[in-house]
Amino acid sequence: MLFTTLNFLIFLAVVLSLFYLLPRPQRRYLLLAASLFFYMVWNAKFVVLILGLITIDYFAALWIVHKRGRQRRVALLVSLCANVGLLGYFKYTNFLRDTYFSVFHAGLPIQPLDIILPLGISFHTFQSISYVIDVYRGEQPAIKSYFDYALFVAFFPQLVAGPIVRAREFFADYFNWQPPTGEEWQRGFAMIVTGYVKKLIFADQFAMVADSYFNNPQAMPGLLPAWSASVAFALQIFFDFSGYTDIAIGVALLFGFHFPENFRRPYLSASVTEFWRRWHMTLSGWLRDYIYISLGGNRRGKIRTYANLMLTMLIGGLWHGANWNFVIWGGYQGAWLAIERIVYGRKEREGFERIPLAVLTFAITCIGWVFFRAKTFAAAAFVIGQMFSKTMGTSVLSTTQLLLILATLAIALAEEYKAVLTRLTESPLWLRTAATVVALLALELFTASEQSIPFVYFQF
Amino acid sequence: MSLRRAVIGTVIGLLAYVAVEGFLFHSGWYNKYLEPNSSAGEVEYYQFWLRRMWPPKVPDVLVLGDSRIGEGMSERAADAAVGGKVHFTPMGMPGSSPRVWYYALRDMETDRNRFSAIVLALDQYSDHDGEPMQDRREDLNYLAGRLKLSDCRDFAHSFTLPDRRRSILTGCIFRGMVLRQDVMDFLSNIHRRLVRTKDWRDNGAGYIAGYGGMSETMAGLTFDPATRTIHFPPGMKNWQMNSAKGTLTPDPAPQTGLSTAYRKEWLGKILDLYKGSKTRIVFMQLPNAPVPVPDSPEPARFIQSVESQPGVSVLPVDTFREFQRPELFADGLHLNRDGRKLFSEKLAQTVAPLVEAH
Repeated sequence: MLFTTLNFLIFLAVVLSLFYLLPRPQRRYLLLAASLFFYMVWNAKFVVLILGLITIDYFAALWIVHKRGRQRRVALLVSLCANVGLLGYFKYTNFLRDTYFSVFHAGLPIQPLDIILPLGISFHTFQSISYVIDVYRGEQPAIKSYFDYALFVAFFPQLVAGPIVRAREFFADYFNWQPPTGEEWQRGFAMIVTGYVKKLIFADQFAMVADSYFNNPQAMPGLLPAWSASVAFALQIFFDFSGYTDIAIGVALLFGFHFPENFRRPYLSASVTEFWRRWHMTLSGWLRDYIYISLGGNRRGKIRTYANLMLTMLIGGLWHGANWNFVIWGGYQGAWLAIERIVYGRKEREGFERIPLAVLTFAITCIGWVFFRAKTFAAAAFVIGQMFSKTMGTSVLSTTQLLLILATLAIALAEEYKAVLTRLTESPLWLRTAATVVALLALELFTASEQSIPFVYFQF
Repeated sequence: MSLRRAVIGTVIGLLAYVAVEGFLFHSGWYNKYLEPNSSAGEVEYYQFWLRRMWPPKVPDVLVLGDSRIGEGMSERAADAAVGGKVHFTPMGMPGSSPRVWYYALRDMETDRNRFSAIVLALDQYSDHDGEPMQDRREDLNYLAGRLKLSDCRDFAHSFTLPDRRRSILTGCIFRGMVLRQDVMDFLSNIHRRLVRTKDWRDNGAGYIAGYGGMSETMAGLTFDPATRTIHFPPGMKNWQMNSAKGTLTPDPAPQTGLSTAYRKEWLGKILDLYKGSKTRIVFMQLPNAPVPVPDSPEPARFIQSVESQPGVSVLPVDTFREFQRPELFADGLHLNRDGRKLFSEKLAQTVAPLVEAH
């Protein structure tokens, strides 16, 4: 069930109404049942997979708490193997097979195995892994109730595309549940509407441009088409994913749950390092806490730090998709993180010196997105070649889209320095009402595509 | 702020949106500013003109159809052919269908006494299944200014595909989604639209009445139905040739009876609208190709089922077949200037006695 369908809005209205009508002890069953239904609408049989993983991780965590020494490690390993193994099977089998055949049996035609990638598996496995590791590290008590733990993994707002919520964040709200305050309710509602505007007006608008270029980049050679299409994709993926996240966070807030922030105007970053502190923050935090730090972080010398950064980002790239382009994209990001650490150290940029650096960082990011979006390595290499070619060509962005970009920049700067959107949710009723009317009318009139375009991150 | 106040604030915001949206797109306010050449505009401007114009003192005959009536029917030629004893009001909405005609007629004259007759121009009497009319999404575009919220459920259910039903229902409720392109065009140059729509409201009916028809001709075209071979004379334009190919050599479609069901539903609803009124419903088969072509072997089930009903007349199937001549057609579908004059005169002379006798 896509967030952008009428069915989801009806589902949300029903679940939200029942949630507040039911006595408190029954609400967790309602949310769990609703979450599983939400998942089963996509593919009913895969609910067995998610329940299987929940069961393994639930008992593994209890085992870790109640046992000592080697048995704890065995329980951790069982959980990791189950999560990583299933993620690996569903997501990477064809990729590894293709790679194996192309290296050892080049030229041999192979048919991909018919494996359906279960929706949201990359997200809920990471969420489960973080829980079991936290329990192992003693940072999180094991959850005693199966239903409570199942709800943590399957809670529908974050089930299919995050944000990746840590157990301590979720259960802090869950065990001390308070209804949302008036301000929180308003913020939640505003985030949902903002999320829809981001996705349906902005992301889908830029998606049409990016799709038409990247489906056949050779048809539009030149520097301007390559850059404008990359910018279009940069904006598409930002609005798409942050729009989804806004809806997820807003929905959770209406139920009284506080999900962590996932995007903080990443394209205003003055370095790639800062970009990763603002982009998909829950994944960055996850990679930092469970991969980078587990590898030793920056505690084992400079060379090892750079290697750890690179390895972490390579894994992050591979997490996004089973394709060498994603690995290259991860390596590209890791290389920039290492270079910036060598050149800048940990120095933060302030004031006007941020402007040229932000432009440079955005350009670096756009080049990276080419690997993310292009279908093949050859296509990515072609587009990047065009980005530095002497032929100008024509921009693929229309005047309307350029105006949307300027509006985006203005809103991002206003939010960054004046928190205008945040203040809007605290404004008088008439102003909030007017904003609601304008936003909903804009959604009705300016939705870019008549067909529901799936969220980009659903494929991960 | 308490949660209760916040929820009330949210509800107020949603209600305000419903009110503004309702005023813009469900009250008829925006209909005045629809682009005249848009699908919705075509329907709405006819509604506007007919409501504003005084009925003529002589019997009034509405001739309703698609672009073939728009191109082929001349009000002036028809009126002149019967010496002004009967007035003809052509309403040719390009691309329109019986489902659109029903809703247009339903709201056009609620008393059902303005017209002495309504002529419904069919492509052919045979219930030949071509384009699947039941699921024609475009019908919502034509009726974007016309459907009431209370129509939405039935209108959506008249489509057969589940996905189409859902999207039609959504579009019917949130009308801005259907009028999106029109509104964007309006906002891109508000002044131009205001001037254009005012001019069209004031003078559009006159522009249509004064239209002379297309000057192109298909003279020289020949067609062999046995081999489905078309010969085009030199100098014919691409759009004319493509149109002729579409008409003369259509892709074969399976005959499933959908056309009969569709006609029974929508033409049947039109008959129901006028049941018991003084308005006679007249069915006619259009001159439908630039050369004589055999009709589809599919029987005319719908026409056969209604021809004996009181208040219904069915013109003989070959009434206008004499006009299926290349020199009277501008392309594969539409009569040209000469064809327009001849067809209008013949239609007037054929229908006027029905009205006068009635």
